[in-house]
Amino acid sequence: MAAELLSFEALGVHLGGREILSPTSFTVSRGEFVCIIGPSGCGKTTLLRAAAGFVAPSSGCVRRNGQVVKQPSREVAFVFQDYGRALLPWRTVANNVSLALEAAGVPKADRPARIQAVLQTVGLTAHADKFPIQLSGGMQQRVQIARCLAQQPDIIMMDEPFGALDAMTRESLQDEVSRLVREQGLTVLFVTHDLEEAIYLSDRVIALRTGPTKDKPSLAAMVEVKIPRPRDQLLTKENPEFLRLRRELYGFLGHH
Amino acid sequence: MVSLVTIEMLRFLRPFVFPALLLGALEWYARTVGKNSDALAPPTAAVLAFWHALMSTGEGSILQATAFTLGCASAGLLIGALSGLFLGITLGLSRRAAQTAFLTVEVLRPIPSVALIPLSMLIFGFGFRLEISVVAFATFWPLLILTQAAAQQVEPSLLEVARALGLSPLARVGKIILPAIVPRLFVALRLGVAIALVVAVTVEIAANPSGMGYALIISQQSMAPELMLAWLFWIGVVGYVINAAALALQQRVAMRMGEVLKGAAKP
Repeated sequence: MAAELLSFEALGVHLGGREILSPTSFTVSRGEFVCIIGPSGCGKTTLLRAAAGFVAPSSGCVRRNGQVVKQPSREVAFVFQDYGRALLPWRTVANNVSLALEAAGVPKADRPARIQAVLQTVGLTAHADKFPIQLSGGMQQRVQIARCLAQQPDIIMMDEPFGALDAMTRESLQDEVSRLVREQGLTVLFVTHDLEEAIYLSDRVIALRTGPTKDKPSLAAMVEVKIPRPRDQLLTKENPEFLRLRRELYGFLGHH
Repeated sequence: MVSLVTIEMLRFLRPFVFPALLLGALEWYARTVGKNSDALAPPTAAVLAFWHALMSTGEGSILQATAFTLGCASAGLLIGALSGLFLGITLGLSRRAAQTAFLTVEVLRPIPSVALIPLSMLIFGFGFRLEISVVAFATFWPLLILTQAAAQQVEPSLLEVARALGLSPLARVGKIILPAIVPRLFVALRLGVAIALVVAVTVEIAANPSGMGYALIISQQSMAPELMLAWLFWIGVVGYVINAAALALQQRVAMRMGEVLKGAAKP
C-alpha cells in the first residue's frame, strides 16, 4: 500500500484571470503533519481549498488515495478559519458535533456515545449543552475540531485555524492538536502565516511565494522538521534546529 | 398624598384616554349635529347592535361569519405560504432557477390580487374556494420574494460546511437553510397573516356572499350604520388578536432557537 495519502500533480489555479498558484507538485504521506506558509495572497488557502475539492484546479490535479479530487468528501474534514461562522448558532455544542454524524448517516442510537467521546478528547464535556455564542473563541474552535474528529476522516485540513485567537489560547490549542494527532495517528494539512507555529507543529513545512513567474514558481521551499516529539512550547522553540529552520524560512514570509 | 398604586393605575390608563375622547366626541356628534346621518351612528348604538348580533345564532351570526373569514384566510395563507416557501428556497439557492423564473415572477407579481376575483369566480363560483384561491395568490408573492432573499443571504460558510460534511440536498435545506432563515421567515409570515385577512375581507365585500366582509357590506346596504360600525370594530379586534398571536409565536420560536440567548449573551 502506498503511504501517499495526498498527491499534488502540477496543481495550478487561476482565479479571475490571474495565476494564483503556478503548477505545484508534492505529496503528503499518511500520518504526516504538513504546514503551508507564505505571505498573504500567495495562494496557500487556495491550494488547501483545491485539495479539499472546494476550488476546481485550472491545470493538474490533486489525488487522494489515487483518486482525482473533484468535490468535497466526508473523508476530508475541513476546519474553517472563521469558527464563528462555521458553527450552527441554533445548535448546542453536542448538536453541532452531531451534524457530522447525521451527514454520515450514523444511526440515532449510536450518536450520543460518539458525541460524548469526541467532546471528551477536546475537553468540552462540560459544555455539551451550551450554544456556540456562550463559548470563547478558543472553545468554539474546539467545537469545530470536535465536529471534524467525529467525521473520522482520512485527513484534516485546517485553514489558519488559530489565526483569530489570542497568543495564550493559540499555544494551548497547538499543543492539543499535536497531542490529538499523535494519539489518533491523524494526517494534517495545515495553512498558517505564523512561521513558528508551522515549524512547531509540522513534520514538513512548505513555503509558497506571491506572484509566481516562470523562474520563480509558487513552491518556494520545502523543508523537513526533524525535531523530536512531544514538543514543548519553551524547549522546542529554544532548540537549535528550530532556530535554524526559523532563520532559513524567515525570508519566505515576505520579510526582505 | 397620591399613593403609588394610583400612579401605576393612571399610567396604565394613559393609552385609553385618546380612544375614550374619540368615542365620546363621536357619540356627541352622532346624537346632535349628525342626527339624521346615514353613515354615522352613536357608539352606544353600535355596542347594542354588536350585542344583538353576538347573541343571534345561525346564518350570518358573528361567530359563524368570523369562522368563515378566518378559515378561508388561514387556508389561503397555508397554500400561499407553503408554495412561496418552497419556490423561494429553490430560487434562492439556484441561480439557474432564479434566472428561469425571473420574467414570469416579475410579470405575475404586480397583478393586484383582487383583480383575480372575476377569473377565480368563473373557475370556482361563489364560496370558500374563490376566497381561498385569491388569498393564496396574494400571500404567495411576499412569501416567495422574502424567502428567496433570505435563502440567498444564508451565511456562505455554513453552506460550505454542509458541502464539506457531505449533507444531502434535503438535509441541507432541513438542517441548514430552514433554521437559518427562520427569523426572517417569521417576519414574512406576519406580513402574510396581515395580507390574508385584508384580502379575505376584501373578497367578501366585493364578491363572496359570506363572512365578515359580506356582513359589513350588507349592514351598509340595509342602512344600518350602527351594525356596520359594530362589524368594523369587530374586524379590528380580530385583526389585532391574530397579529398579537403571530408575534407571540415568533417570540416563542426565537427563544427555542437561542435567538434570545444571543441577545442575552451580549454585555
